[in-house]
Amino acid sequence: MNKLIPVIISGIAIALIVGVGFTSYYAQVVEVQELRDKALSIPKAERQLLNLGHSSPVLGSTNAQITIVEFGDYQCEMCHMWFHNTRGAIIDNYVDTGKVNIIFVDLAFLGSDSPIAAQATHCANEQGKYWEYHSILYYKQEGIDNGWASKSMLKEYANELKLNSNQFADCIDSGKYAKNIQDSYNLAGQLMEYPSTPTFYLFNHQSGVVEKISGAQPFSVFVKTIDSML
Amino acid sequence: MIAAVIFFGMFFPLSILSEFIFIEPFFIIYVTTELAFSFALILAISFMSAIVIPMNIYRIKILRKKTSKIGTSLIGAIIGASAGACSCGPVGFFIISTFGAGAGFATAFLTNYEIPLRLISLGLLCVVYFTTTKSISTECRIR
Repeated sequence: MNKLIPVIISGIAIALIVGVGFTSYYAQVVEVQELRDKALSIPKAERQLLNLGHSSPVLGSTNAQITIVEFGDYQCEMCHMWFHNTRGAIIDNYVDTGKVNIIFVDLAFLGSDSPIAAQATHCANEQGKYWEYHSILYYKQEGIDNGWASKSMLKEYANELKLNSNQFADCIDSGKYAKNIQDSYNLAGQLMEYPSTPTFYLFNHQSGVVEKISGAQPFSVFVKTIDSML
Repeated sequence: MIAAVIFFGMFFPLSILSEFIFIEPFFIIYVTTELAFSFALILAISFMSAIVIPMNIYRIKILRKKTSKIGTSLIGAIIGASAGACSCGPVGFFIISTFGAGAGFATAFLTNYEIPLRLISLGLLCVVYFTTTKSISTECRIR
């Protein structure tokens, strides 16, 4: 009997991992369907949730027909993958042409350095370099809580971008954006049953249609989705 | 039959959790060059599990032998599965938000050492494969 215990425990653990994965996946499928069904009835005020002050500044034209809202974590490997493999093509083909704009919402849950890194981007925003700082973090990413996103390193990146180092250090040491990051986390909890990063919501401001893309999906998926919404 | 169930039962969930296969909004298999090795390891772990686990089930049922090898092979599979469950996905969020800082540390460890852990998993499965093959051929000869 004793010999069976590790087998049973291993089996339960595998079943738990697979079970949670599939339950969450199924929930996402249902959620997307519900989003589609409710798309036209979403009140404008609710859609404006995504323009709350605690998200990023808008990347691209504020008059773009579609807004892509990315929920991401600076320590997330898949967000890093998306940043390096898909985001550039979206910017070249849709953002620079004025059809789409992008907003980043922090869903900082992967370790203790994630919320600090998220706060650092808002501190950089005070000096008008949100997106530059956002990009530098995805170029520097090296894993989870292994030092690359410690406070001292975040201050070094600010120096690399020639930000005012004293102002940046005061901002990050004060933790003045901690509540913003928590609010973003709560917003993700309201929108998604099983939050994950990166998750993208595509809003068509004219028709009210909303689409959701979960994960670091390739450019072709974004092309199909965006083109079907335009 | 059991081997096919184990292979597909491991390969598809692990590939979906590791974001190599997407079903929504379209079915797509997406393996970038930098993650090709990781994908190959998932394939190899699923393949080895599909061979090793049925062999040990046979060993237990037909030859009435000990369960230690199937325990080891399941541990191998679980290491691969745990390291494969992407930390930024819903599984990672569920584990971290439910179990707190300790789970966060475990998730960070599994993510930071994903490739070595999968290699260990594959190594364990290979060792179990060779010892089981040897043991089955010896036991069958005796019988």
